[in-house]
Amino acid sequence: MSPANTDSPRSLFRAIATDLHFWIPLIVLAGGLLLLDKLR
Amino acid sequence: MPAARRRSLQALGIFCGFAAGAWLGGAEAPIKLVTTDISPVTVSLIMVCGVFLARWSVPAFIRGTSQVRNDVRQAPHLVVWAVLAGCMWAVANTLTIYAIRDVGLTIAFPLWNSNSLLGIFWGVVLFNELHHAGWKRWLGVLGGAVFMFAGATLLAIASSHQAAPGRATMGVLAALGAGILWGTMYIPYRKAYLTGMNPLSFVTFFTVGELATMSLLAIGYRGATPLWHELVSARPVLFWLMLGGFVWVLGDLFQQFATKYVGISRGIPLSNTNQLWGLLWGILVFHELQGAGRAVYVQVAGGSLLMGAGAVAIALSSATEREHSSWQDAADRESHRYEVEGEYVRAGMEGRAYGAGTSRRSVLDWLLIFCATALFVVLAAVAKFPHIDIGVGWAIALSAAMITLLAACGIALWRTTRFR
Repeated sequence: MSPANTDSPRSLFRAIATDLHFWIPLIVLAGGLLLLDKLR
Repeated sequence: MPAARRRSLQALGIFCGFAAGAWLGGAEAPIKLVTTDISPVTVSLIMVCGVFLARWSVPAFIRGTSQVRNDVRQAPHLVVWAVLAGCMWAVANTLTIYAIRDVGLTIAFPLWNSNSLLGIFWGVVLFNELHHAGWKRWLGVLGGAVFMFAGATLLAIASSHQAAPGRATMGVLAALGAGILWGTMYIPYRKAYLTGMNPLSFVTFFTVGELATMSLLAIGYRGATPLWHELVSARPVLFWLMLGGFVWVLGDLFQQFATKYVGISRGIPLSNTNQLWGLLWGILVFHELQGAGRAVYVQVAGGSLLMGAGAVAIALSSATEREHSSWQDAADRESHRYEVEGEYVRAGMEGRAYGAGTSRRSVLDWLLIFCATALFVVLAAVAKFPHIDIGVGWAIALSAAMITLLAACGIALWRTTRFR
């Protein structure tokens, strides 16, 4: 895992977007929203 | 980190976990006073408004918002994680309302409290928790969490007669969904605290995600005009719902500090003792389970004992020096990836000051505190107490116990870390 130069917003975005830890919560959030939609 | 400092932070984290249980469980009490027919989404939105006020005014009162700016300067990426976690909290909270409606609190509660098992999983897999911990600590944490889950299930069975037939499947799905969302929400929590961010800073951005998501959900589901009419007609109960949100935040703050100092694998199961507090409020104050048979009370006592035993097992399984050094490896990884200054990360983990920043409160801080207090006073003035039979003596006793825990844990946090 290489360090990102997070000084610029673009680098910061890249560091977040390539972090697996970001995608796991995001996918679970999407699943939760879908379930909520079914429950309405 | 010196061994004595590590031990005192571990003890502090465990104390915070138990205090979190008391306040998170107590948050259900004001909500039980709402007997009028309001849609679950609107209930959730009103609660989140209370949560939002608390998440800005409490940190402003404790440390001042200038400290928030300092934290953001050091680790700006954590704003994204905090907002993401806030969105998850809002969706999970709305799911719990559907779950309570469909299967009742006593079934829904243990199901969503399964989040602690998921929290342990993420802690081990993603953040090196329980690495090099030895089999005794593994047994203590995992065994304790399984005991707590079994206890929670027993409590659910004890009160299963309250379930509304027909909607049970969707209610169970909603409760499990909330558990998964909350269990996964601890990933951003742990990430923030390994990187050195102060919990009081994290929650201020967390709540932006909460309020934005909840507002969008409420407007999308109810429509802007009907939502507004519902909010206006809910004036007499706004105070109780927002008070529930406020009390929840105090518990959540302790949970955040517990997560910071003992990790998610220990902090979350400990704060899940909130079910015991919820049960105490339900049975003693709101006379739930009244008229139930002896078998039900035996199940309740057995479930509570199991949960208590599980919590004690976890509390006694503090991290060893080797496990703590694995946490530091995970922290180094975060620091390296996001180019956060090493000294900032180390100071955060050790609960000590970084840099020469002062924590003086500004005019903005006092304005936040004043506005939040004034709003609660106005809402309390128009609030109506519902005509329900409650045990006033027990309500006072439980409130006193919660306030004692708040004071004791607050003092311990101040003395050990100055709320860092």
